[in-house]
This record gives sequence, C-alpha cells and structure tokens, in this order.
Amino acid sequence: MSNTNVVKREEGVRQSIKGRPVVAPLVDVYENKDEYLVYADLPGVSPDKLSVRLDQGELTLEGTWVEEEKGSLVAREFRPMDFRRTFLVPDTVDPEKISANLVNGVLKVRLPKVEAVKPRRIEISVG
Amino acid sequence: MLTGWMDLDRNFAMMDDFRSRMDQLFQEFETGRRTTGWQSTAWPRLNLMDTGDNLVLRAELPGVAREDLQISGCQDALTLSGLRKIEVPEGYSLHRQERAPVRFSRTLTFPVKVEVENTRAELKNGILEITLPKAPEVKPRAIEVKVG
Repeated sequence: MSNTNVVKREEGVRQSIKGRPVVAPLVDVYENKDEYLVYADLPGVSPDKLSVRLDQGELTLEGTWVEEEKGSLVAREFRPMDFRRTFLVPDTVDPEKISANLVNGVLKVRLPKVEAVKPRRIEISVG
Repeated sequence: MLTGWMDLDRNFAMMDDFRSRMDQLFQEFETGRRTTGWQSTAWPRLNLMDTGDNLVLRAELPGVAREDLQISGCQDALTLSGLRKIEVPEGYSLHRQERAPVRFSRTLTFPVKVEVENTRAELKNGILEITLPKAPEVKPRAIEVKVG
C-alpha cells in the first residue's frame, strides 16, 4: 500500500518537470450587493475542456489547453498549459445559481448571493 | 557512497532552483509585476510553425474580440495590432484585479515569402491562428529519382 503511494508520487514529480505546466490563470473579482463576478483568462481552453466546480465552499476553475501540433516549430514563445485556480466562496453565495460562460478565451463566473443576505430596505410605518 | 553523491547532486539542483526563484522574486519586486504567466514578454505571445506548404502563426489573445483585431501583411512580414478591452461591470466594487487592458502591435518578418492574398485567419477560444501559404517559388518540391 505504502509502496504504491511512493510510486505514484514519483510519477507526479516527473510530470510536473517534463510535462505540461500548471498555471494559475489571471483573474478579476468584483462584488456588488447581489452577486460576485469572476473573470479569468483561459486562452486556448475550449468549453469541453473546462470545468468549474464548487465543492465544500471552494470554487475550482480547471482548464486544459489542447494545441494541435502542425508541422515543425520555427519559434515558440508559449506552450500549451493547464490552468487551475481555487477560490474560497463565502457562505452567502447560492450554490444552485452559479453560472459561467466562456467568450474569446475569457471565463466569466457569476455567483449570486442568497436572497436572505441581500440588503433590504425596511419600511417604516408612521403613526 | 554512490547514493551519497546522488543526494549531493540533488541538493545542488535544489539550491539552483531556489536561487532562480529568488532571482525571479527580486525581479518581480523591482519591476512591480509578475514575470510568471503570459504577461512576461511582448504581447501577444506567438508561435510560428512550418508545415512545408504553409507557415502557421498562433497568437495568444484572450479577451480580444474579432472587431478589435487588425491583421495586415506584405510578402514577408505581418503586423498584428488591436486592443484587448477589459469589461468592468458598473456598480461593482473590485476585490482583485490581475487582468489588464492592452493596446498591442507586433510585427514579424518571415523567413520566406508568403502569399498574403490567400492567408486565412481564425480566432477561437482566445487563440488566433493564421495560415500563410508560402510563395510557389519557396515551396518544397519533390525530386524524382530515376532508376537505371
């Protein structure tokens, strides 16, 4: 049991050295009274290679950039990579209502807050 | 004894790694921006490939809309220019900002002549791919070997 674990770890190390780099995508995070908005740059990631997960209060963005090799390489300034980034999501977010869309390599995730925490104006009756 | 040497070697490798990370840290501190990620060099980053008949150029352009991108070229050079806009939603407070708007222009010269009029460009998932057919005189030609 412990032996197989060691072997697995060795393989993991080799992948991170020789394999694809895993990069945290650049993000912008906004908030208003209704929701949080997260924008992430994910160049080369197609919708089917992208996952957005919420697990135990953590939002994880994960994407794989698959580059089709064509011919021989003359010059290279970037290489395909995997993107991964995790955020702690406050309890005030309604997990059922999270939505995401991908446009031009930019992911936009909407995290609406639960109704109960939205600020509410309380009517004051006179008399 | 041999294993001892291997360990020593590994320790030196770790020190090298540590030193390069420290260098990077100082550089980030001095320039005030991250050198990791795709922001480090000229924007956008490019890959150039040669398929024999064509040159294929790929550019990393996340967040650049088709209408904000201009491509112009002549027989051995190409210019990519445009604007990457950042959508800033109205009435929101900002928690974190790492993405930046970019106005870019990059020109590159090709090693061979290309046919600009037959060039195709496709923008997909933030990656631009331009296929440039080589001029007929520089295309590779198969040479027949006669037997006898």
